[in-house]
Amino acid sequence: MTKTTDSKQVSAVIRVENVWKEYRLDNDVVFTALKDINTSISPGEFTSIIGPSGSGKSTLMHVIGLLDKPTRGSVWINNRDVSKMDDAQVSMVRNEFVGFVFQQFNLINKLTILENIVLPTIYTRKKLAYDPVEKAKYLMERFGIGGKERSFPNKISGGQQQRVAIARALIMNPQLVLADEPTGNLDSKSGEEILKLLTELNRDEKITIVVVTHDHSVAKRARRVIEIKDGQIIS
Amino acid sequence: MTYFIFIIRTAIFDLYRNKMRTILTSLGILIGVASVVLLLSFGLGLKEFIRQQFDSLGTNAVFLIPGKIFNQGGGFRGGQGALGGIQFDDRDYINLKRIREAQYVVPVFTKTLSIQGTEKTEYGTLYGTIADIFPSRNLEVEYGELFDKTAVEKRSKVVVLGPSIAAKTFGNASLAVGKTARIDSQSFKVVGVLKSKGGGGLGGPDFDSFMYVPYKSAYVFNPNKTFLTMLLRGNSEADVAIIKMRMNEILLKRYKEDQFTISDSKEFIATIGSIFAMLNSVLVAIGAVSLIVGGIGIMNIMYVSVTERTREIGIRRALGATERDVLLQFLAESVLLSIFGGLAGLGFSYGVVFLLQSVFPAYIDLVSVLTALGTSSFIGIFFGVFPARTAAKLSPMDAIRYE
Repeated sequence: MTKTTDSKQVSAVIRVENVWKEYRLDNDVVFTALKDINTSISPGEFTSIIGPSGSGKSTLMHVIGLLDKPTRGSVWINNRDVSKMDDAQVSMVRNEFVGFVFQQFNLINKLTILENIVLPTIYTRKKLAYDPVEKAKYLMERFGIGGKERSFPNKISGGQQQRVAIARALIMNPQLVLADEPTGNLDSKSGEEILKLLTELNRDEKITIVVVTHDHSVAKRARRVIEIKDGQIIS
Repeated sequence: MTYFIFIIRTAIFDLYRNKMRTILTSLGILIGVASVVLLLSFGLGLKEFIRQQFDSLGTNAVFLIPGKIFNQGGGFRGGQGALGGIQFDDRDYINLKRIREAQYVVPVFTKTLSIQGTEKTEYGTLYGTIADIFPSRNLEVEYGELFDKTAVEKRSKVVVLGPSIAAKTFGNASLAVGKTARIDSQSFKVVGVLKSKGGGGLGGPDFDSFMYVPYKSAYVFNPNKTFLTMLLRGNSEADVAIIKMRMNEILLKRYKEDQFTISDSKEFIATIGSIFAMLNSVLVAIGAVSLIVGGIGIMNIMYVSVTERTREIGIRRALGATERDVLLQFLAESVLLSIFGGLAGLGFSYGVVFLLQSVFPAYIDLVSVLTALGTSSFIGIFFGVFPARTAAKLSPMDAIRYE
């Protein structure tokens, strides 16, 4: 991979170049989930990746979020080639650079709300300039779930769980928040509140947000929409 | 530090959450550790027991036994072993009495015979010997008196009883003196009862059940007029070496080198010690098998735990946990599980040993404690590392999608 001189690319938070993702199925058939994907996301962007079920949008999100490796091609984060990183470095990038929000919330039920939110700070290698517990409490207050510190995830509503997940995604002050169908498991009112929250975070705190969705009404909240179909970006 | 507290706290929390599973899994380690520790403590106790028995025979004692019992390097010798071949007689006794360094030379004929008192008939070990047996073995009289030299020469039909056999056959040890005891249909007058010397149990000699009679009076049970053994005693360790040397010279004039064994109490204890060490290592190895079984139980349950918590592993990985973090988390759990079992096994062993100590000098030494804890930690790491590696190597994406 040659170094790019494009100023827009240099400043990209994430750059995906010629990325392919293939899966070998049981019957030795190769399924291609991503076909030669090229895109970049700039700091402060609010981007949505939209596509029907099976289009490869979640796979793309997993590749961007360093949860999965591409079969071919490269992913650059702040101009660092991820393919050259070992597990500890990739984990560190996931920990400090990316915040995840999932459709299923993915909170750990045996941990309290507060413990769930501060969990990423346990795994960090950097010295934090703030008290994680204080910050978690601040985020909880801000997202309207104050006072639930000692509750457990299965004792609060879906909308509240997703707010906990967002608070957890923000605890490390990430540059990028990746949200995979963040409203998929919520009623329309809760879903709307979550989208409003993500929009505010992007607008007020300039956090780069990528929302993966199949829902056009959700996708249109973003300033930029990447449409994906059959593993390829079509617009 | 916060990180390690978190790892250990998480592990304790997860183990606590599955209390029954934790207890049942630890049970394997508990049984393994308890069997190893108890076998070690019994071995130590047995060794101590035998040492005490020899100590009670007095220091600087030398034994002459027919046959060749020990190899040069210790340990039992094969082939014609103990009590094989020759029998000693009066001639040997007279010859050995010439050793100036020997404070006592005591010939002993022994036979297990029945003894009938006023109350009951019992079996005991008859010692046909001389009066010097008492001072040479530090035996003291409790009731009545001991027989003397003249009793041997006069072939007096007298017997000095150990306290337990006296109590069993006459109802009470103090009542035996002056009464007649029928030893294998022969009448002997009980002249004295000894103070308790302890012993017995575990196949060891029960000194309190011995019956001491003048050896010439015991010819009735010993028509060949032979002795099973000779007991000699010197004044010092230096004397013991000389006595052994002289005995060897004397006996070689009459017997072949492999027809008798000369040993002293230290040698005997050392040999028995080495035999027990070997026996103990075999027993401990058997105990270790149950530890391995316990370890496999831990491994099995940890694999179940990895499967159950696949999604949690995926979440943690997405939040920045490295493979090492996940590995350490599962390893901490298996080690804690194992140490918990180890400590419980140790506690159980202490309980058993405490209860046994009234009848047997078993004890748990520091080596046993360290062995138990070291082994259980090792088992936890060894059998925990495989499932922990499986957890660590899970793909974050596959793990987080796991239903």
